[in-house]
Amino acid sequence: MELIGEQKINASREVVFAALNDAEVLAEAIPGCEEIEKISDTELTATVVLKVGPVKARFKGAVELSNLNPPESYTISGEGKGGIAGNASGGADVVLVEDGDGTLLQYNVSVKIMGKFAQLGSRLIDSTAKKLSAKFFEKFAEIIESKSAS
Amino acid sequence: MNDQTQISREQRIEKLQGQGCNRKRVEDVRFTQGKGNYVDDIKLPGMLFGDFVRSPYGHAKINSIDTEAALKVPGVLAVITADDLKPLNLHYMPTLAGDVQAVLADEKVLFQGQEVAFVVATDRYAAADGVDQVLVDYEALPVINDPHKSMDDDAPTLREDIAGKMEGAHGTRKHNNHIFFWEEGDKEGTDKALADAEVVVEEKITYQRVHPCPLETCGCVASMDKVTGKLTVWGTFQAPHAVRTIASLITDIAEHNIRIISPDIGGGSGNKVGVYPGYICSIVASIVTGAPVKWVEDRIENLTATAFARDYHMTGKLGATKEGIITGLSAHVLADHGAFDACADPTKFPAGFFSIVTGAYDIPVAHVGVDGVYTNKAPGGVAYRCSFRVTEAAYLIERMINILALKLDMDPAEIRMKNFIKKEQFPYNSALGWEYDSGDYHTAMEKALEAVDYKGLRAEQAENRAAFDRGETRSLMGIGIAFFTEIVGAGPVKNCDILGLGMFDSCEIRIHPTGSAVARLGTISQGQGHATTFPQIIASEIGIPAEDITLEEGDTDTAPYGLGTYGSRSTPVAGAATAMAARKIKAKAQMIAAYLLEVHDGDLEWDVDRFQVKGNPEMHKTMKEIAFAAYSVAIPGLEPGLEAVSYYDPPNMTYPFGAYIGVVDIDVDTGVTEVRRFYALDDCGTRINPMIIEGQVHGGLTEALAITMGQIISYDEIGNISGGSMIDFFLPTAVETPNWETGFTETPSPHHPIGAKGVGESPNVGGVPALSNAVIDAFAHKGLTHSQMPHDHWRVWQTAQKLGLTE
Repeated sequence: MELIGEQKINASREVVFAALNDAEVLAEAIPGCEEIEKISDTELTATVVLKVGPVKARFKGAVELSNLNPPESYTISGEGKGGIAGNASGGADVVLVEDGDGTLLQYNVSVKIMGKFAQLGSRLIDSTAKKLSAKFFEKFAEIIESKSAS
Repeated sequence: MNDQTQISREQRIEKLQGQGCNRKRVEDVRFTQGKGNYVDDIKLPGMLFGDFVRSPYGHAKINSIDTEAALKVPGVLAVITADDLKPLNLHYMPTLAGDVQAVLADEKVLFQGQEVAFVVATDRYAAADGVDQVLVDYEALPVINDPHKSMDDDAPTLREDIAGKMEGAHGTRKHNNHIFFWEEGDKEGTDKALADAEVVVEEKITYQRVHPCPLETCGCVASMDKVTGKLTVWGTFQAPHAVRTIASLITDIAEHNIRIISPDIGGGSGNKVGVYPGYICSIVASIVTGAPVKWVEDRIENLTATAFARDYHMTGKLGATKEGIITGLSAHVLADHGAFDACADPTKFPAGFFSIVTGAYDIPVAHVGVDGVYTNKAPGGVAYRCSFRVTEAAYLIERMINILALKLDMDPAEIRMKNFIKKEQFPYNSALGWEYDSGDYHTAMEKALEAVDYKGLRAEQAENRAAFDRGETRSLMGIGIAFFTEIVGAGPVKNCDILGLGMFDSCEIRIHPTGSAVARLGTISQGQGHATTFPQIIASEIGIPAEDITLEEGDTDTAPYGLGTYGSRSTPVAGAATAMAARKIKAKAQMIAAYLLEVHDGDLEWDVDRFQVKGNPEMHKTMKEIAFAAYSVAIPGLEPGLEAVSYYDPPNMTYPFGAYIGVVDIDVDTGVTEVRRFYALDDCGTRINPMIIEGQVHGGLTEALAITMGQIISYDEIGNISGGSMIDFFLPTAVETPNWETGFTETPSPHHPIGAKGVGESPNVGGVPALSNAVIDAFAHKGLTHSQMPHDHWRVWQTAQKLGLTE
């Protein structure tokens, strides 16, 4: 499944790019994120609780940052295992475009979901993914904006 | 004399409740009171519970399985993996189709939902908790979900366990993902007939993957008695004796030490014919723990891992004259058998009886070829309420003949009448090698057309189409006709066997001294009402009232050997055995009566429930009197007792047929399709219990409605199954089910002892093409020749949209 979208953020590209690499910001912005641990500058591990339709599961997985091209773009990808609920893997190509005083964050997300999640939630996955992506980027923008305001 | 002399002959006949009467189902007394005894009702002291770890992937390598955390879950006693089964040589089991199937995944998984590990615990919840804690490290592999891509040069090899072994169970394999090629008929002659034909139509017709989805899922309780060495397995088995033999062969437990019991079964529809990993794992777990082990699937497991049906990708070609006389038929099928070939067909028929595809028509020359291939889908390929691949064949020919009618601008009823095999042509030898036993197709079709006022319906449809074009209605009316010929009652041992076991069946009847009886059969009812109908056969044969006859099935320690119930074979095969066993009893009864009446055997004649002296009916002995004498009078030259057993090897299959007509109304803007009317005329030969036949037809039509209008098990490109739960898989309720109208003609089978042919599956075989033809007919005048099932609202709306009809 593919998702394309954009989010306006009232901060400079440099600030946004730094935040995209900041485990604490990510942890706060990712819906259902319980924990993020930084292994290196480009490797993280995350625990995320996800609910799709009738299935709820705790995913544990590795997150990798690649194609780093500060402050213009990067790719965030990961794979999570949710036990009997199934597995998920996916990534997002993120591009930052200058937009007046702020930044336009463009994202192209692709997700693969396996197992019970896919079986039971197939009709809900698209809408859930859209909702969660929008939620993430909205929250992300909000965190940056409140930080730069303070 | 006894009291029976006081009542009239008619009253004596009525009292028997024999063949042809609407005897009420004796099973329903317990079923309607919740007193049925299904597998999950079986509770044994100290019983343990098993549950599976299943693959989330369609295709993946297993790097490791970590059971440590699972074994720490309170209540979990054991976690069995392929590595535990290997020393026992049980990590693979034979399938019914001559392939092997992994009992637990060996180094790789091949379909989503495949069994990876079996957790055994003291209760069901602990087993599920244990499953959650088994950590399996998978490495995803590329998935094949489209059978058309299975044999591509760059397709990944799915079955590494048989890679390079190019001789399969049914001949040479062309590719590592190829299973078999099977053909029948005259290819050269057919090619010539099609090349010479004045008109040729060709169409790709897919019969989508569906699932029988019985109300009760599959399950078993395995109990190994370590003191006696006897293994008892209660399970949802449609063929208990075959299961016993297979279990003995693969476990090396002597067959007399295995007892298989099929208790009440909540629907089978082919889903419960096969042998599943759950049975093997439960048996192993019981042997290891010494305690009984229960395994019962949940609904998702049933839909995703136990046997599917159909998934036939067919190409049909029909040649004809300009007048609509069919001159030749060719068909090719790409059969998607999933990850293991576990198709339940007679051994010599890897595509079942698909060669019945010439249907009810006198087609001079035909050829069929079937390629079976592996994909990353669940194994199976069972006869979901149809004889082996018969519904696929009926669907192909009944769609093709409509396409031909459209091309020739002929009425679908007329073109069928033109091509039917005529009554006087029976027994009829079809171009693909079958000998049809009996039929009168023209009469059946005419009766059906009259019953629905076919001419009136077509006139109404013409008006509806004109009104639609004038913009006065947004609804289109479709009329669907199907005329099917089934081939059931497998079958003659000379060409029908499963794993070498001949497909005869059996009945043993014991008459008790007081004139009641017990009958035991090699079949097993899953809702067909055997306990009601088989005693009716005996009642008519030997004059013991049906209510005085107990019927027992499903316990291999007591029932005679038989191949079970599927493929509408119970009445054609075990029903024949029942009549033959009864006739053996009658023959002995005649000798007893002759002795008692002091006359010669030949001076006696049978009348309803007694032997009487010819010309002197006052001198008679009733069956009840004869029964007592069998146990009380020393008759020179005769053994005491009155019982008989018959193993019946049918000389031929039986060929039930029927004419079905459905009428639908389609809202083109929403795709909502209402079945306004559906009439089903069935000819199943001699009718044993018309009420049960009607019930069978209602049930089968409802399943046909489900398949045609909504059921599909599909897979996405990464191997996820969709339609694997009741959220997506369509099971019609009273809300979606229309009022079914039924009718009949009665053309007995000439080779069956009582002329019966079997009926359980006809409504599925005929119902699917009739409904599909109705939906497509609604758009035929707008240029639609074919659209793939299921015809759910979404797909029907898409069809309307493609034709430019939506607003």
